[in-house]
Amino acid sequence: MSINTLAASIIDGLLIGFVYGIAAMGLTLIWGVMEVINLSHGALIALGMFGALLAVQSFGLYPYLAFILVAAFGLVLGIIVYSIAIHRILDAPDLTTLLSTFAVSMIIIGAGTAAFTTSPRNIEFSLGSVNVGSSIILGTKVVAAIIAIITTVLLYLFLYRTRTGKSIRAVANNRAAAELMGIPSTKILALSFGIGTLLAMGSGALIATLFPFTILSGSTYELKSFVIGVLGGLGNPAGSLVGGLILGFIEGLIPNFMDTSWTPVIEFALFVLILLVKPQGLFGSEE
Amino acid sequence: MGSILELQNVSSGYGEVQVLWDISMKMEEGKLTTLIGSNGAGKTTTLRTIMHLIHPWSGKILFRGHDITNKSAHLKVALGLVLVPEGRQLFTNMSIMENLEMGAFSDKARKKMEGNIEKVFELFPRLKERRNQKAGTLSGGEQQMLAIGRGMMAEPDVLMFDEPSLGLAPILVQELFGIVDRLKEQKLTMLLVEQNVHLALTVSDYVYVLTSGRMEIEGPAAEVQKMDKVKKAYLGI
Ligand SMILES: Nc1ncnc2c1ncn2[C@@H]1O[C@H](COP(=O)(O)OP(=O)(O)OP(=O)(O)O)[C@@H](O)[C@H]1O
Ligand SMILES: [Mg+2]
Repeated sequence: MSINTLAASIIDGLLIGFVYGIAAMGLTLIWGVMEVINLSHGALIALGMFGALLAVQSFGLYPYLAFILVAAFGLVLGIIVYSIAIHRILDAPDLTTLLSTFAVSMIIIGAGTAAFTTSPRNIEFSLGSVNVGSSIILGTKVVAAIIAIITTVLLYLFLYRTRTGKSIRAVANNRAAAELMGIPSTKILALSFGIGTLLAMGSGALIATLFPFTILSGSTYELKSFVIGVLGGLGNPAGSLVGGLILGFIEGLIPNFMDTSWTPVIEFALFVLILLVKPQGLFGSEE
Repeated sequence: MGSILELQNVSSGYGEVQVLWDISMKMEEGKLTTLIGSNGAGKTTTLRTIMHLIHPWSGKILFRGHDITNKSAHLKVALGLVLVPEGRQLFTNMSIMENLEMGAFSDKARKKMEGNIEKVFELFPRLKERRNQKAGTLSGGEQQMLAIGRGMMAEPDVLMFDEPSLGLAPILVQELFGIVDRLKEQKLTMLLVEQNVHLALTVSDYVYVLTSGRMEIEGPAAEVQKMDKVKKAYLGI
């Protein structure tokens, strides 16, 4: 194996890592703001994939325009899901919110299976490729990574520079105190769930331009999001991006040395190891 | 007449446990009212009930004569009812500046934010020096200053304090009461809950004494101060 092949495969992994990063951000944002583990995360990613497919195949939209549309739809859907399935049980025991988000997941996957069956789909779309030595890197991966980076920067500017973004952080930090400052915490929680869903569905729309998928594909990415969440610290968007890159790096590296099927084994061994050694995440602060 | 905030026969509690029994209070506009009572008497519960952080079981809460019993906390803030809560409740992961900004969330407070930040920094120069520091890394006394400053950012019509002197060094307690005095001169209506009964009574106009969730005594500060019961139980004389 040449150093070029290795470099290309690691670059490839890192590019996808950015997309994993925004997927995980959706999960960790919701956790960070309302301490809900969103078990519908994977189903929402899959819904994003099919949303993009529909927009491209049925309406002839350009895939990246479809991404914007799917993300916007995710924002609205998330606010609706929050109002119906989350708000009333927010202060109930953890198991209740787990069951409720799991129910949302089952509804999406059930309806998706009925509508699309479980046979694999893909979006026919190419942007050419770049050669790195004897290996190639797909243009779609480069663009997906760039969009993921832009999304991350926008999320950051929103959370740290705008009043609404700051009030999301305030609600995450201390909900009762936020109410006492006049912040309408219920609206902020709904908006946060909407943004989490936007990120999940948006990442799905990007992944759909890279790999074939079924309505069940979301679960893989949901698990990756959990691994990344633990790597980067749940509730920490910057950590999610770094966590995504670490995961992408591992996925780029491993196939060079052993069979690809070892990848999840190593990822989850890492997951367990971090949970044991540093449960607040590599970048999480102790609280 | 002239009462800006009024509680009429309010009862409330946590879950099945009743804490407040039929409480009535009146806060006069521009006056400083103090609520005292021993630990666990229900002072914090009273403030939490006023703000609707816990729901009143019965009774009415009136603000400028309007029934606001069932309005949620953030709407009460918009009306001008502001609580500096027990235990500071800062946004510990956010900077001092951001905490102050969040204090000015309501529309009317937002317009005066810049000027109010200057006022807060004038009162607490230490906060200015550390404006970009995370609130969670401040010392206890500094955190208390920030909590008070954040409350002042809200352009309150009624400012309520739950044990603002807790954890402050004696000199800072003096300073705090100086600030309360100054706010009083500016005719701000305040409701003060204080362990430091002696100091509180010297600055306040009217006093309520809560005993086991029931309003036991009320009256002008000068009179309440002279009552044997109050002297014994709260002033240690
Ligand atoms: N979250 C809660 N759940 C159940 N009971 C509570 C809760 N908070 C307070 N209580 C109870 O309500 C009663 C009144 O408490 P409260 O905090 O209002 O007292 P307080 O007068 O503010 O006392 P302190 O001077 O110690 O602050 C106490 O018996 C307390 O145990
Ligand atoms: Mg108390």
